[in-house]
Amino acid sequence: MKPWYLVLGGALLLGGCQEKLTSPGDCPALCPGGSPQVVDEVLSPIPGSDSSFVGYVQPQAAPALLVSNGLEGFEERAIMRFPPRSDSVAVRDTLRSYTVDSVAFGFTVLARDSMAPGLQLLLYRLPPLIDSSTSYAQVDPAFVPENLVLTVPIPDTLRTGVLRAVVQGSDLARIALTPADSGVLSLGVRLDAPSFTGVRLGASAAGNGGVFLTYATLAVPDTGAARLRTFPLTATFNTSLPAVPEVLDSTVLTVGGNPSTRSLIRFDLPSRIRDSATVIRATLELTPVAPLTGLATDPVRLVARGILSDLGAKSPVESRFGVAIDTVPVGSSATEELEMVRLLQQVWIGESRPAGLLLSLSPELEAASFSRPVFYSSRAADPAVRPRLRVSYLRSFPFENP
Amino acid sequence: MRAAWLLGLLAIVPGLAGAQSSQFGVRGLGFPGRGLNARVIASGGAFGLFDSESSLNPATLAGVTALTSIFTASGAYRTVENPAGTASTRDTRFPLLMVVGPVRRTGTALGFSYSGYTDRDFSIVSSSTLDLRGGPVGVTDTFTSRGGLSDLRAAGAYRIHDRWLLGLGVHAITGSNRVESRRSFADSTYLSSVQKAEISFAGFGISGGAIRQMGPRFAIAALVRSDGHVNVDRDSARVATIDLPYTFGLGIRWQPVPKLGLATQTILRTWSGANSDLMAQGGVGANNTFEVALGGEFTPDVQRPYRRPLRFGGRYGRLPFPLEPGTEAHEYGVSVGSGMRFAQQRGGVDLAVEPVWRSEGLHSEHGFILTLGISVRP
Repeated sequence: MKPWYLVLGGALLLGGCQEKLTSPGDCPALCPGGSPQVVDEVLSPIPGSDSSFVGYVQPQAAPALLVSNGLEGFEERAIMRFPPRSDSVAVRDTLRSYTVDSVAFGFTVLARDSMAPGLQLLLYRLPPLIDSSTSYAQVDPAFVPENLVLTVPIPDTLRTGVLRAVVQGSDLARIALTPADSGVLSLGVRLDAPSFTGVRLGASAAGNGGVFLTYATLAVPDTGAARLRTFPLTATFNTSLPAVPEVLDSTVLTVGGNPSTRSLIRFDLPSRIRDSATVIRATLELTPVAPLTGLATDPVRLVARGILSDLGAKSPVESRFGVAIDTVPVGSSATEELEMVRLLQQVWIGESRPAGLLLSLSPELEAASFSRPVFYSSRAADPAVRPRLRVSYLRSFPFENP
Repeated sequence: MRAAWLLGLLAIVPGLAGAQSSQFGVRGLGFPGRGLNARVIASGGAFGLFDSESSLNPATLAGVTALTSIFTASGAYRTVENPAGTASTRDTRFPLLMVVGPVRRTGTALGFSYSGYTDRDFSIVSSSTLDLRGGPVGVTDTFTSRGGLSDLRAAGAYRIHDRWLLGLGVHAITGSNRVESRRSFADSTYLSSVQKAEISFAGFGISGGAIRQMGPRFAIAALVRSDGHVNVDRDSARVATIDLPYTFGLGIRWQPVPKLGLATQTILRTWSGANSDLMAQGGVGANNTFEVALGGEFTPDVQRPYRRPLRFGGRYGRLPFPLEPGTEAHEYGVSVGSGMRFAQQRGGVDLAVEPVWRSEGLHSEHGFILTLGISVRP
């Protein structure tokens, strides 16, 4: 036998080396160390350390405008201001005046109650100088029939999309801009409907705010020609004005609202979990104070984010992976359950961050939802309704047990 | 033709036999190694106390006439049965590496070896249903272990008038286990978990052996070994100390005719010394073990004994670490093999095939172990 036979034979032997070690386990006989033990533990927030803070997203910066006819027991209106529209146009180095043929308004419907028919938006002309300090009471006198510019019906078949309405003819006089207005048009929007309901409209902060489009004819005397021009303007300021300002109750945990409110909840994570446990599930359970109100068929999304450092209301949040999200339907009075195992595992334990979380609505709904979930806090008299974090974890496996 | 046959066997058997992963190595310190060369395994291990290319008896080194290095690879295909089901497993091991050689004009020889002391390579999967948060949740657990304990031996031997061979060895028992426990849940709201640890072992042992040649055809070998205890660390923290066994061996070799050599040996190990330590750790315990082997080697050409020898044998033994309290696992096997030398006997290859059966209560397994030994005398 030649040596190369041996080399080849050895290579074949070793080349056939394949490992397949898995066999069925018959516990406890074949389970050294036993089976992993799952422990279920309920953690309560640090008493009195859970609080709500308001003002994260102001109404004028909200991604949506809220308009209702009493959905929450009071009316809510939207106001908007468009940038100045010049009364002349430069043609061949000469400023020339123009004649307005018609005007179109465009609004984006983000949400509505599809079961509520017969909705229509009423557009009112407001004094041009409105801003973030303008209150409901200040503009309420302007919502009178004399200032009504246009009524825009919302088709019953429209669930989301763009509404467009045109003003022409003699109605143009209602929105005529004068030098006294500095060419600025301000509008107020209210909702008219047979039942209490509301709509969420696009806002300038989200890039889908109201549009004011002017169609004009430009006369050029030297040529005798008439030129058509359009002047598109989008609202540079808009906000929602509730008839009744929201009041923050410091004894409960509030989320949402307008301006938006967030709730900070702090826990004391035991070292037995932080140091040596493998967390497999963590559920934040919140008991609502009352059934969730809001626009039917427009649920809210609750978001819990881990905090990077505990700076109270201004605690920076972890947004990469420490996020727990849950959708809450309007009318729900069930205990809210937010699955936040990755937040706990990766942020609190993995990055050794403070065991706190900031509860809010999802960004597209902050200051832009009729719903304002309110939950019991650690100050509740009944311990059963206080917030709680239910953690399921595995204890350190006793590998050393043979 | 012979070469083609051997090559064909080498090519086919790895497909049948991968190597060895025994369910009887799950408990305690694992599945014990044997420290035997392929040619000894081919005869059931019966010549283990007389073989200079095995690491069992240090006295055998005195029989070495040239510097020799030995490499052994083994593979096995095994069918495992237990109440949870049936599976086929395979793996590959390198259970013995040795370098031995004589010290000129002194009658002594030295050797260094690495052999598997225990093997803890396994992966077991079990399924069950847990009651979590008031509802049933299906779980699948996978426990995986890689590694084991190794026996590093430095030994010397001395020959007295060609009648007595005496040897002494010191052993470093070391090794580590990378162990992992995985649990996955049927309910996706529970995250799968992985827990890992490294268990390391360190111990020290000493062995002494003797071979008495009683005439040209008869010899007796004896072995005594003490392994003291092994320290067990988990991730660098001491968690236990486990007593290791004393080993007593006695072997007889007889050559009734020039073409036939027969041998038998018995090895006793006092693994029960580890019983209390293992139970204190939550284990099942340990039992004393013994192994009886009987085998022979038929040499067709006495002038060229390394050409086409036929080795055969059988063995029966008990395993130290039971799967359940009060039980004892045992194994038996039959073996056959051959080998050859080439390049003026500077190189050699030996092959052994051994069907084995093991059982303990409702747990059993059977399969083949293929062992390939290569020796080089530069």
